[in-house]
Amino acid sequence: MSLQVQKNPIMVNVAYAGILFVCVCGFLGLLSNGKTTDWAMTNFLDLWIFAVAIVGGVVAISMGARSPFIIASGAVGIFVALTATQDTLVRYLSLSALLFAIGMYGMVKSRNAVRVLMSIELMLNAVNINLIAFAKFIDPAEVKGQLFAIFILTVAAAEAAVGLAIVLSVYRNTSTVDMNKFDLLKW
Amino acid sequence: MIPNAPEIGKLAFIIAFWICAIFLPVWAVSWAVGVFLPMIIEGQNPGPELALVADILRTATPILSVLVFIPLNAMFMVLYERRALALFTVRMGPNRVGPDGLLQTAADAVKLLLKEDITPRGADAVIFTLAPIVFFAPSIIGILPILAAITNNHPLFAITNLPTGIFFVLASASIPLVALVMAGWSSNNKYSLVGGLRAAAQAISYEIPLVLSLVTVCLMAGTLDVVKIAQQQDGGFLNWNILGGGALRGLDAAIATALKNQDWAPVIQAFYPYGAASFVAAIVLIFCSHILLGLYLTGACAEINRIPFDLPEAESELVSGYNTEYSGMKFAIFFLAEFTNLFIVSCIATVMFFGGGDNPFPQWFLDQLPLAGIQAGLGSALSFLINDMRLVDPDTFWAAIWVIIKVYSLVFFAILIRGTLPRFRIDQLMDFGWKRLVPLSLIAFLLVVFARVLVVSHGY
Amino acid sequence: MEQYMMLHDYVSNAAAETALFYLISIFAIIMSVGVISDRNVIRSGFILIGVFGAISGLFLLLQAQFLALAQVMIYAVGITLVVVIALMLTNPRSEKDTSYENEPVSKDGSPISPFQRLRLIGPAFVGILSFFTIYTAIRSESWIASGEQVSPDNVRVLGTALTTTYSLPFEFASVLLLAALIGAIMLAKAERPTPVIEIGIDE
Repeated sequence: MSLQVQKNPIMVNVAYAGILFVCVCGFLGLLSNGKTTDWAMTNFLDLWIFAVAIVGGVVAISMGARSPFIIASGAVGIFVALTATQDTLVRYLSLSALLFAIGMYGMVKSRNAVRVLMSIELMLNAVNINLIAFAKFIDPAEVKGQLFAIFILTVAAAEAAVGLAIVLSVYRNTSTVDMNKFDLLKW
Repeated sequence: MIPNAPEIGKLAFIIAFWICAIFLPVWAVSWAVGVFLPMIIEGQNPGPELALVADILRTATPILSVLVFIPLNAMFMVLYERRALALFTVRMGPNRVGPDGLLQTAADAVKLLLKEDITPRGADAVIFTLAPIVFFAPSIIGILPILAAITNNHPLFAITNLPTGIFFVLASASIPLVALVMAGWSSNNKYSLVGGLRAAAQAISYEIPLVLSLVTVCLMAGTLDVVKIAQQQDGGFLNWNILGGGALRGLDAAIATALKNQDWAPVIQAFYPYGAASFVAAIVLIFCSHILLGLYLTGACAEINRIPFDLPEAESELVSGYNTEYSGMKFAIFFLAEFTNLFIVSCIATVMFFGGGDNPFPQWFLDQLPLAGIQAGLGSALSFLINDMRLVDPDTFWAAIWVIIKVYSLVFFAILIRGTLPRFRIDQLMDFGWKRLVPLSLIAFLLVVFARVLVVSHGY
Repeated sequence: MEQYMMLHDYVSNAAAETALFYLISIFAIIMSVGVISDRNVIRSGFILIGVFGAISGLFLLLQAQFLALAQVMIYAVGITLVVVIALMLTNPRSEKDTSYENEPVSKDGSPISPFQRLRLIGPAFVGILSFFTIYTAIRSESWIASGEQVSPDNVRVLGTALTTTYSLPFEFASVLLLAALIGAIMLAKAERPTPVIEIGIDE
């Protein structure tokens, strides 16, 4: 039999996108308590930006775009659209949230244990941005946020050392670093 | 008397010639960009735009002078190293290009720039290209705070003075490590890879004693700011950090009072308030600071892969280590960065241990000499240059001369080490780093912590 | 420093800061996407160093000079170690990291069911959900910035706080580091074969 790789049927993805769009609209409709869409547009602009970005991403996948490109352009687009009119502090916090989410995505998605460690480092750094932004904007006199960031740096260093040692010893026992194959304890 | 006196004389001539060839252009460029052009612009009652241009020119001066300085300096250092090594091993050294080999490295540089730039097959092209840049850029950035310290905080260079000075230098000195691993991995060559991994292991191990020794000096000085550290050590070699971080400052002051025929006992009492304990503490401080200098020089040698620690590019085992596959411009950048790093390391040692731009003679000794008259005479004679053209800044000028002498002496010392010691083996290297240097640096740190409380030193 | 005042006016105004912020943060976002989606683990390690460089640039914008430099110093070394370990554990020629293949078909060639497709987009769902949650939390709060400036000498403030108010956490951090050091050595130490004890040969 011919093992030709079947491309994604575009219509399925568009259908997914439509369902998602309807869900978001319904959510907005619930929140707006039956008022007009104007109200939703003014009060839930962020949510609309989200919905548009997600729908755009799904459509782009169905057109055959590569996923890193979609994630990068979507993340940058969402970030700029959401923070363009905000305060400086909210900008930093949003950036930190975005980097945290990217790290979370990488941690859940990747199979390589070393890359999982890298994603965790990314998440810890995102938290550091948060703390230092707070130190500058909320508590500039005795920069407590920077203190906590120092402690987080310490913990991150310890975590990296122990994590790498664990990965090393796992590699020694199973000669792989694929997370899906660490199932010795699976029952 | 000295059998190789002619060779020493030739080496001294080469050094003198090249130091002029380096520093006159640097001087000219920084004067033209930082003083002369803004003076012309502001002399014509400019609008805000032109004044902004003058400001930008002033701000760009440190970077421009560094950019002029680095290639010239690397060309000199290569020749210096080859001729000095030839002197130690009783050879001739390069002596064909130009009068007595004076232009050898200029010819080498032209050759390197004309060579073909090759990226090997199977190499990761992007990282292969990025590696020399990542290796070289930190040496430009890292020299900036040092620049403020060695020019005695000249107004043009004061902008590069940071409150976290020495920490900045150390941070930027740790970046080249990444570049070595990048170069080693991306070359698609097993010798390069082994070289890169060795560089990583070695730099991580030796960074600990290096940083700890400089941190201890900062502890004695009570600040991270390199300009403050340099200015604390003003007034003769008794104030330098190499002699206990100001532990002998009391002795200096006592001699000065005794020469004025006053009672020096209260001065001693003021600087060493705890009697015999203070004297013991001063001796401990002096001893520790010598140990710190040794730790620093060892760690720095390992950081910049100089000879006793040049395992990453051991040519007898690894062809040339991480830069085996590099040619042409990229190799030239690696080469440039290595010699610039040697210069920077010597600069840091000069500022942290040897008083920066301070002259070694104590102030009470200079007071005995009829220098003030000479200085006044020179000042009035060169008044046009100093006050009108602002070509010479008397403070910075003498500081710069002293810094040049000290730094190139330290470079000479590094070359002497290179000509003397054989290369370590990798396990000896790790042993020496972790079992000897790290405990030693911790012990020195602890001793300094306790001893500096008993003496009125710099950071008291 | 009066001569630099004019330039200072131009550089430190809010527009330049905003432009710098967006430049650095877009760089950081693109690089971090590169970290999680590059096929080669080693290259993604090098990209991660770029992300950390960008983040320390953000710290400089936030006037946390000490932390920016500590970030560079710790991560330039730390992540290089990670990369080196990754180098030792993976063979890029034989072991392709296939987790980023967009797998539209299952192994035997049949079209996958919607449930399997959901499993594929699961990580994306987790990422989007976490961003959405945090962002909602951020926007539901009205942040009141105190208009003061961070003192330029905040290294001193940090040092004083670490050695007085926060000295106990500081000690705990050092104990943690020591424990991590010993633990890492214990875990990573190569297991030696149990020594065979022979009695009565010597003496």
